[in-house]
Amino acid sequence: MKSNTWIALALGVGLLVALPTLTTPSLLNASIQMLIAALFACAFNVLCGQGGMLSFGHAAYFGVGTFATVHAMNAFNGEGLLPTPLMPLAGAVVGLLVGIFAGWFATKRTGTYFAMITLALAELLHALAPHLKGVFGGEAGISTMRMPAWGFSFGSSTEVYYLTLAWVLLSLGLLYLYTLTPVGRLTLGLRENTHRLRFLGYDVHRLNVTVFAISAMFAGVAGGLQALNTESANYVLLEGHVSAAVVLNSYIGGVSVFLGPALGASLMTFFGYAVSDLTRSWLLYQGILFVLVMMFMPSGLTGFFGWIRASRKAHGFTAIAPLLVAGLLAGVLLSAGTVFTVEMLQRFFSQDYRSMAALQPGAGWAPIALFGRDWLPTAVVTWAVPLGLCGVGGALVFAARRMWQALVDRAEEMQVPSNAASTAQGGAL
Amino acid sequence: MENLIVSLLNGVIYGLLLFMVSAGLTLIFGMMGVLNFAHASFYMLGAYFAYALQGSLGFWGALVASPILVGLVGVVVEKYFLRRVHHHGHAHELLLTFGLSFIIAELVKLFFGNFPVDYRIPASMDFALFRLGASNYPAYRILMGTVAVLMFVLVYLLLTRTRVGIVVRSAIYKPRMAEALGHNVPLVFMGVFGVGAALAGLAGAVAGAFYTTNPNMALELGVMVFVVVVVGGLGSMGGAMLASLLIGVITSLSVGVDYSLADALAWIGAGDWAQQVGGLLTLKLSSIAATIPFALMLLVLMVRPSGLMGDKN
Repeated sequence: MKSNTWIALALGVGLLVALPTLTTPSLLNASIQMLIAALFACAFNVLCGQGGMLSFGHAAYFGVGTFATVHAMNAFNGEGLLPTPLMPLAGAVVGLLVGIFAGWFATKRTGTYFAMITLALAELLHALAPHLKGVFGGEAGISTMRMPAWGFSFGSSTEVYYLTLAWVLLSLGLLYLYTLTPVGRLTLGLRENTHRLRFLGYDVHRLNVTVFAISAMFAGVAGGLQALNTESANYVLLEGHVSAAVVLNSYIGGVSVFLGPALGASLMTFFGYAVSDLTRSWLLYQGILFVLVMMFMPSGLTGFFGWIRASRKAHGFTAIAPLLVAGLLAGVLLSAGTVFTVEMLQRFFSQDYRSMAALQPGAGWAPIALFGRDWLPTAVVTWAVPLGLCGVGGALVFAARRMWQALVDRAEEMQVPSNAASTAQGGAL
Repeated sequence: MENLIVSLLNGVIYGLLLFMVSAGLTLIFGMMGVLNFAHASFYMLGAYFAYALQGSLGFWGALVASPILVGLVGVVVEKYFLRRVHHHGHAHELLLTFGLSFIIAELVKLFFGNFPVDYRIPASMDFALFRLGASNYPAYRILMGTVAVLMFVLVYLLLTRTRVGIVVRSAIYKPRMAEALGHNVPLVFMGVFGVGAALAGLAGAVAGAFYTTNPNMALELGVMVFVVVVVGGLGSMGGAMLASLLIGVITSLSVGVDYSLADALAWIGAGDWAQQVGGLLTLKLSSIAATIPFALMLLVLMVRPSGLMGDKN
């Protein structure tokens, strides 16, 4: 790694270590969730981004990790199987075992089939879990307590935060080292060309199962941390939306860079925490963002940053600055328009509003409070605002594309004469 | 005996319903290689459109209009979304449809609320067609089965007996050759995608009134439809039909079976041991009926990875 990567890494870790002194307790809880989500996404990415196997059922391995850890914490009448700081190991072991079993089935097929099998396996577990009361605790779930160990009480969220941070950093470090090992390089081979690996004499199925199991193991660690954090486990953890969230987060962050999924997962978890009180449509925004990323920036947010760096190098900062400003402005305007429309519709179609309108039939549509103002649903201005925002945003996008095209054309023009000159020279020789 | 016949009939009709949704999915997969994650969302849209339209068009009018609308949504999805990311590969297309299914579910929640809506079968259809022993058999179930069978016959005739069918089949088999012969293959793709979506929408409009119409119906059925196509073999219509019926009948029959693994083990004298172990062994088959299709799928994958009627690949 280059020296400035090391510096950025040290700064990041330093910031994470100093975080408890900088934030409020509720933000610290959100940070724990972010760390767990980041580790889960990175574990998922070993399978998906590096191994090229798209899993739609990774909640299963996260969930069994949580349940295993809760059972380990409850073992011996609450004494615990291991000292509290080592508890996620239970999640890791069970995640690994379940991963080997599920991976053996799932990796019998590749591509689309693989995705469907992982989905079905997760659904199988989810359908079975409420009936197995002894293991999954039925509808109520099971709860547990963090026991004091090694001189820590684990009563405050600061201590839980440091424990989570230590585990997440350790796991991310191990996952990174894994990418440098021969198996880690072969994982990329699985994504790029399985046939070739087979010709080279590797047992592809066994390799697939290994990658699957490693991914499931670290998902289990993340699940174990979740158990330590919430001191409970419920079969809701095995639901499809947990699997969906990790797919969305990883791709929004960018699966081609090692820390991309971690970035996506922590950003999305943070936004989910920040806006959950303000809107009921957070999942809709997340879905829209994901589709936009899939359509316009397939390499995710990290790919977008990489593109900015590359174009700055190619065209110079002064050339792309107006482009970036226009793009940023367009993004803000378009999101404002979309958010306004969605929130307006959400309030207009909400049950409260409907029943209120039904109670007073002759009164017409009551105004809706949004962003500190009352808007009449029948007034033109209510709908002109989002339309205007989106219109201006769209125009800016159009302008930014024109500017980008002009930049590319100019760069090509500058290159073509020099190329022509060199061929002419070659011809003369 | 009557119970058995009623269960069988219910199972067959549920299977036919599964087939209506999985037919479009498997057709689209066979042609474009895209597994459309949003396909079950089209089923849900069909139910919600029919619910929203029945006030102005009446039940039967909505039953006709809703699939057409869903078909149009399908055309838009193919033309403006899938086609744009086609060059990134199939995994990318799968992810895009996954995101779309997410958005559709959230939009449905936005407009209709996160609870079941009151979409019911019309009073004119709410009667018993015939009696089997002690139980009345609802006419609407038979109607659902008839719609599915009619649809299957129509699609089959369309694909095998008409000129359009020949072009579609050639576009599935050798898209580049069909294009070289002057057929507009992208248009064919768009059409098939639209028709597949419309079929799923029709299934939703018909079944939503009988079962519940809620924002989770897409996920619940979607997973089952994936099981159907894996068991039947992706891309095979016949396989989809066979697997749908099989899964429909098995789920329907297993709901009525009150035995557990412990009872089976009692035959070889290990019943008491099984009762002591508990857990999976003492679960009644009826309570884990929902998991049987998945177990069947794992079995098929072990024994015959390409599905019951799929090609070896």
